[in-house]
Amino acid sequence: MLRSLGALFAVLVWGASALAETGAVRVGVLAYQGSERAARDWEPTLAHLERSIPDHRFVMVPLDLPGMVLAVEDRRVDFVITNPGNYVTLEARFAVTRIATLESDAAGSPAAAVGSTVVRRADRTDIAGLADLKGKRLAVVSTDAFGGFQIAWREMEEAGLRPFTDLRELKVVGFPMEGVVAAVRDGSADAGVLRACLLEELAAQGWVVPGEVAVLGEHPASDLPCRVSSRLYPDWPFARLAHTPRDLARQVAAALLTMPTVEGKAWTASLDYTTVHELFRTLHIGPYPRTPPALEELAHRNWHWLAVVGAAVLWWIIHAARVEVLVRRRTAELEREIAERERAEAVALRLREERDQLSRLGIVGEMASNIAHELNQPLAAISNFAHGMTRILDAPAPNMGLLRSGARSVAEQAERAAAIIQRTRGFVRRRNAQRSTIDINAVVTETLSLFGAPAVPIQVQLGDALPAVKADKVELQQVLLNLLQNAVEATLEVAPEIGGGDITVRTARFAGMVMLEVRDAGPGLPAEAVAKMFEPFYTTKLDGLGLGLSICRTIMERHGGRIWAEAKPDRGLTVRFVLPAAAEEEAS
Amino acid sequence: MTDAPLVLMVDDDEGMRASVGYLLASVGIACETFASAEAFLASPWLRPPLRPGCILMDVRMPSMSGIELLRHLKERGCKRPVVMVTGHGDVPLAVTALKAGAEDFIEKPYKDQTLLDAVNAAIRKCRLVLARSAGRDAVQARLAQLSRREREVLTLVLDGKQNKEIAAALNISIKTVEGHRQMAMEKMRARSVAELARMMLAPEDEG
Repeated sequence: MLRSLGALFAVLVWGASALAETGAVRVGVLAYQGSERAARDWEPTLAHLERSIPDHRFVMVPLDLPGMVLAVEDRRVDFVITNPGNYVTLEARFAVTRIATLESDAAGSPAAAVGSTVVRRADRTDIAGLADLKGKRLAVVSTDAFGGFQIAWREMEEAGLRPFTDLRELKVVGFPMEGVVAAVRDGSADAGVLRACLLEELAAQGWVVPGEVAVLGEHPASDLPCRVSSRLYPDWPFARLAHTPRDLARQVAAALLTMPTVEGKAWTASLDYTTVHELFRTLHIGPYPRTPPALEELAHRNWHWLAVVGAAVLWWIIHAARVEVLVRRRTAELEREIAERERAEAVALRLREERDQLSRLGIVGEMASNIAHELNQPLAAISNFAHGMTRILDAPAPNMGLLRSGARSVAEQAERAAAIIQRTRGFVRRRNAQRSTIDINAVVTETLSLFGAPAVPIQVQLGDALPAVKADKVELQQVLLNLLQNAVEATLEVAPEIGGGDITVRTARFAGMVMLEVRDAGPGLPAEAVAKMFEPFYTTKLDGLGLGLSICRTIMERHGGRIWAEAKPDRGLTVRFVLPAAAEEEAS
Repeated sequence: MTDAPLVLMVDDDEGMRASVGYLLASVGIACETFASAEAFLASPWLRPPLRPGCILMDVRMPSMSGIELLRHLKERGCKRPVVMVTGHGDVPLAVTALKAGAEDFIEKPYKDQTLLDAVNAAIRKCRLVLARSAGRDAVQARLAQLSRREREVLTLVLDGKQNKEIAAALNISIKTVEGHRQMAMEKMRARSVAELARMMLAPEDEG
């Protein structure tokens, strides 16, 4: 924490000074081992640049990893010198472009100059390879360190070891990197990660006794004259930022490439950093954060938790699904029930309407048919008895006993017939008419709704401000229903292609009375039929009784009104009735 | 067993049963009445020995209808002709009745003579059926008396074969054929081959 504060302080100081010196070219350098070390490492390069490009001053801005990102983001630097790992991150996020790659004397080739060395104490022979680090303690300088950790991380992953979960401890010792060796040496860590060649440097300094440490997972054929535990990556790049002037960048690049080797460091043409990208992609770090592909790995790593979570989720899904299914089923049941009830009500309503209609229109016919049927039996029986008796009487010696029983039977059957008629009369006894002052238009509206959905469209033309009539509403409805039924039947007789046309119901004033007319476009009637149509038992229908209009006339006459019909010569029939206005009737 | 005809009447209406019974009695025809198809089927009259007569039934009855009863009777192989009484103008029902095997149908309301004519015709038909049935039984009985050889000879005679041909076919002498033939004709009480053929064919064309 203190260290990072220090680093931040350094950033601020250097940043401020860089800003203060206008016209200065600021070069951010990754000072992973502190500002002084960075200054020592890169001072020759900057001095060379200043010499080569005299009209610019080059100011070094030492930065730690987070500071580097911030500085690039805020454009507080024009160039950066950083490790390959940090570079690819900056490249991906801020379009930083490398213009040269470090060529170090220590490394055989700048393309294979950076790697990691994993070391253990020589006496820890129980750790033979990277995979054996499972459950062990590993010292690293920082988990953000490229050579100091990330490169080794990849090798460990490939060896089947996941450093963040499989190790007993990932011990971060911080810079300088010698601390890692110290931790390994004093046994506080079982192994440690060093950047490649540090081991050799330390050995040269005498800090490490030869044979004191062993290298784990050593890559044998290395381009580097050092022992490494990893594949190798290109050396540090010198990169320009997106905002850096192109000319300046070109000048700097040229200068770098012409820089002679100073203290074992020179610059060469920028190399391919694909291998670094690969590394980061594998580890899902830097520019390749853990996004979808990480899931699989995460699942692998946390399978037991995932199993629990999965089970929980599964249970929840099942529960939710079950609840959903139940809710749906219940809802469907409820809806079905409601629909059922509505349908039942609709059916009941329709039946009621039909019954009303039947009782208004067809009761006479129905009753007549029933009476006829019921009377048939006793009449046929009487006929049989009578004929039988005749035959007996015709015989040479009539059997008197048989004749008597026949006569008795005839009487019985006659009584039975009388009982049927009696019963029927009781059934059809007319209700008492109830007269009230009513609006004929209201009767029309109500009757049409009783009539239900007719087979033929019905046009309604109701007259304005009609006087009320004094009438029995049910009887008026009966008349109107009768007329409507006749009109519908007449219209349906006409072939549809000719077009029966609509039925029109109209109300109007008529010579001080209230008139209602029902007009159809049916075949019409011949004049003699029109003259007789209100007489009882006159019918043109195949199964008609000829009573409907006769009853209508009776009703109209009882109300002091009149009913008549007019047929057009070609087709169509109009039936009208008039009723006296209520006030008029009261006055008379 | 009496030969006097008997009408079996099924009608749910009591007045009709009584009056039809009375009418039939007035012309000397005995009548048994039943209020329902079920009662009728349970009665002993359907079992042999059969008295000549007919069945008179109303098409429309509660529970089992006349048509159903008719089908039942036909399934049971009832030989008595059935006269159905239908409502006025009920042509489809009358057709159905005839298809189901009714002898005749009369429409209500009917004149007494119509009913009596139909009943008498049906009774005559019944006698005929019974007579044919009896004749068939007699022929069967006579056939049963024939020996195997006599039967073989008769079969070939009916095929129109001469005695000579029969003798060759059965590998016997003509004399023997003549003997078997004469014996068989006597047993069958047939005076000629034509009569024998009629006798043998009669059972076949009776349904």
